[in-house]
Amino acid sequence: MSAGVDGFSVSDSSPATREASQGVPSAADDIIRCDALTRRYGAFTALRAIDFRVRRGEVVCVVGPSGGGKSTLLRTINGLESFDEGSIVVDGIRLPGSRGDVIRIRREVGMVFQSFNLFPHMTVRRNVALAPMRARGVGRDEANARAERLLRRVGIADQIDKYPEQLSGGQQQRVAIARALAMEPRVMLFDEPTSALDAEMVSEVLQVIRELVGTGMTMVIVTHELGFAREAADRIVFMESGTIAVEAPPRQFFANTTDSRLASFLSKVL
Amino acid sequence: MHFHFDTTVIVRHLPELFAGVELTVLLVVVSLGVGTVLGMIACIGKLLGRGLLCWIASAYVTVMRGVPEMVVMFWIYYCGPLILDTRLSSFAAAATSMSLYAGAFLAEIFRAGILAVPRGQTEAARALGVPELFTWAEVILPQALRMMIPAFIGVVTLIVKVSGLASAIGVAELVYQANIVSGQSYRYFELFTAVGIFYFALIFPLSLLAQRYERVLARRTR
Amino acid sequence: MTDTGTTASAPRGIFFAGSRFRVDRASAISFIAGIALVYAVFHAVDWKFVATLDFHVLVEYWQPLARGAAMTLGITASSLAVGLSVGVVIAILLQLPIGPLRWLIVAYVELWRNTPLIVQLFWVHFGLPVLTGISTTALESGFIALTLQSSAYLADIARAGIQAVPRGQWQAARALGLPAWSLWLEVILPQALKVMIPAFANLALSFLNGSALLGLLQVGELMTVAAKISDYTFKPIEIMSAVGLVYLLLNLLVARLARWLELATRIPR
Repeated sequence: MSAGVDGFSVSDSSPATREASQGVPSAADDIIRCDALTRRYGAFTALRAIDFRVRRGEVVCVVGPSGGGKSTLLRTINGLESFDEGSIVVDGIRLPGSRGDVIRIRREVGMVFQSFNLFPHMTVRRNVALAPMRARGVGRDEANARAERLLRRVGIADQIDKYPEQLSGGQQQRVAIARALAMEPRVMLFDEPTSALDAEMVSEVLQVIRELVGTGMTMVIVTHELGFAREAADRIVFMESGTIAVEAPPRQFFANTTDSRLASFLSKVL
Repeated sequence: MHFHFDTTVIVRHLPELFAGVELTVLLVVVSLGVGTVLGMIACIGKLLGRGLLCWIASAYVTVMRGVPEMVVMFWIYYCGPLILDTRLSSFAAAATSMSLYAGAFLAEIFRAGILAVPRGQTEAARALGVPELFTWAEVILPQALRMMIPAFIGVVTLIVKVSGLASAIGVAELVYQANIVSGQSYRYFELFTAVGIFYFALIFPLSLLAQRYERVLARRTR
Repeated sequence: MTDTGTTASAPRGIFFAGSRFRVDRASAISFIAGIALVYAVFHAVDWKFVATLDFHVLVEYWQPLARGAAMTLGITASSLAVGLSVGVVIAILLQLPIGPLRWLIVAYVELWRNTPLIVQLFWVHFGLPVLTGISTTALESGFIALTLQSSAYLADIARAGIQAVPRGQWQAARALGLPAWSLWLEVILPQALKVMIPAFANLALSFLNGSALLGLLQVGELMTVAAKISDYTFKPIEIMSAVGLVYLLLNLLVARLARWLELATRIPR
C-alpha cells in the first residue's frame, strides 16, 4: 500500500467495511487491486508505479490537480486505457489479460463519464436498456423493466421516452448513472461526474451518488467536489504528477499538515 | 483468356494523344478564365444586386448547377447557332458551355468565401472609419480569397473532368482522340487506361493540394 | 451587402443619414444593369426563328421522355444504394490497422475520385471486355461505372461521418461491454449516417446530373431518349430545353427529399 505518508493505513476508520474493523484487511476483500501500475505516453509518464486498492463496499474519492493521472487510473481499471507496466486485478480477473478478460471486467465495472456520453439517437429508455440486452443477454421485457426501475430510482421516470438532447445536463448524467447501473456492476467508477454541469445541477447528481453510497456499492469517484468527498468517502486519495501522494480517511485528510503538495492544493481549492 | 498489355499502341499514337491533351488544356484554361469572370459578376449580382439583377444571377446559378453539363453543351451546340443566328464551332460551343458551368459553381464559391468572413471584421473596420472600398479590398477580400482556395481547386478538377464531354460534340480533345485511336487499333483497354492515368496525374495532385490547404485553414481558424 | 440588413428591416420613410442614398444607388444600378442585360439578350436572339419553335412535339413524345426520366432516377438511385453499402463497408475496413489493406483502399478511392466519369465509362464498356473477354451491355457498363465511382466518393463521406461520431460514444459503448456488432450497427453507424446526409445529398445531385453521360452509350435514360428524339424530329431546341427543365425538376425533387430526410431525423427540442 503506497504513500500512507502520515502512517495512516486505510483500515483505521473506514465505516463501510465492518469485517475490516478487526484489524489488518485481507487481500481477499480487495475488489480492485493495482500493483506498480505504470502508463507512459512517449516521454510523459501519466501513472508512476501506482499501488491502489479498493475493498468491497468501499467508497474512494480521488482528488488532485488536473493532469495528475486520476482519469487515467480510472480508465485503466476497465480497460479503456492500456498500461505499460504493473498489473490490475478486478474481482478476480487479472489484467494484462485476454480480450475476453477485458470484456468480463467491463460487465462488472460500471463507468459514468464527465461528458455523459449518452447515445443521442436513442431514447432514455433504450439508452438504459440496451447494454443488458446486448452484453448480458437479458430479454427485452426484463431490460425495459429494469430501465424503468432504475430511472425511477434516479428520479427521471417521467423522461423515459425523451431523447438525451431534450434533457438538462443534470438529468442526462442521472440517466448515465442509471445506464451504468443497469448492468448490475460490482463496482462503479465515476470520472468527474459533475465537472461538466452547471452549478445548479451539481447537487441533484451528487444526491443520486450519495444514495448509491448508502447501498453499499463499491465506488471510485474522481471529483473536484471536496465537500462531497468529505462526507461520503471512506477514503480520499490525493493524486499528483502520476503518483498517489496522500491516502487517508476524510478527517485526517483535510487536517493534513505534513504533505506540502496536498497543503498547497487544499489552499487553492478550499 | 490470353491478354497481353500492349504498350506500343500507346507509344505509337502519342502524337494524336498529345494533340488531344493540348486541346484539353486549352479548353480548361479558357473555361476557367471566362468562368471566373462570369462567377464574379454573378456573385456580385447575388450579393449586392437588388430585384431584377439578383434574380437573374440566382436563376443563372440555379439552372447551371441543376442541369447536367451534357445537356447544356448539347443545347448550346445545336440550338445556339439557330437561335442566335451565328455560326458556332464545336470548340466555341464547348468552351461557352463549360464557362457558364464553371461560372455558376464559382459564383457560389465566391459568395461562400465572402460570407465566411466574420461579421466582426467589417464592423471593426467600419467602426474605425475605414472607407468602404478599403474595407473590401484590404479586410474582406484577402480573408475571403484565402478561404475560397480549396473550393476553387475543386472547381478546377471538376472542369478538367467535364472537359471529356466535349468529345461528344466533336472537339478533338483527349477523350475524342483516345476514342478515334482505339477504334483503329481495338486496344481500348491500354489506351483508356493510359488516358485515365494521365487525368489522374493531373487531378490527384490538385486534390491533395486542396486537402492540404483545407487543413491549414482549419488550423488557422481555431 | 453591407446595407442589406438595414434596408430589409428598415421601414419605408426612415432616413438613415448617408445610407439612404446608398440604398437607392444599389437598387438603381441593379435595375439599370438588369434592364441592359435583358435588352442585350433580346437583341441577340433571332425572334423570327423562335416563333417557329414547335413545342407540340413534347406532347407527342411525352411517354418516352417520361420513361427516360424514370430510368434516370432508377439508375441513379440504385447505383447510389449499392455505392453506399460498399462505401460504408470500405470505411469500416479502413478502421482496421492492416497496412496493405488501407493502402489498397486508399488507392481504389483516390483512383475513382480523381478520374473523369466519361473515361471510366468508356474504360468499363470498351476497355474491360478486351481484358476480361466478357462483354457488358451498355446498361451494365453504365451501372458498374456509376457504382464504382459513387462507392469511392461514399467511402470518403462515410469515413468522415464515422470520424464525426464523438469519441465518448465509443468509450461509453465499450465501457458498457457492448459486442462489436451492436457497437457498429446500433451506436456508431446511425450517428454517422445522420452526419452524412448533407454530403450524401450533394453527391446524389451530382450523380443525377452525371447519369446524363450514360446517354453517350445509349443506355436508355433521359439523355439517350432526348438525343434520339432530337435526331428523329429535327427539333433539338424544343427537346433539349424541355429535358433541361426536367433535370432541373428532378434536382429540385432530390434536394427537397434530402431536406425532408434531414428534418425527419432531427430530434425535437
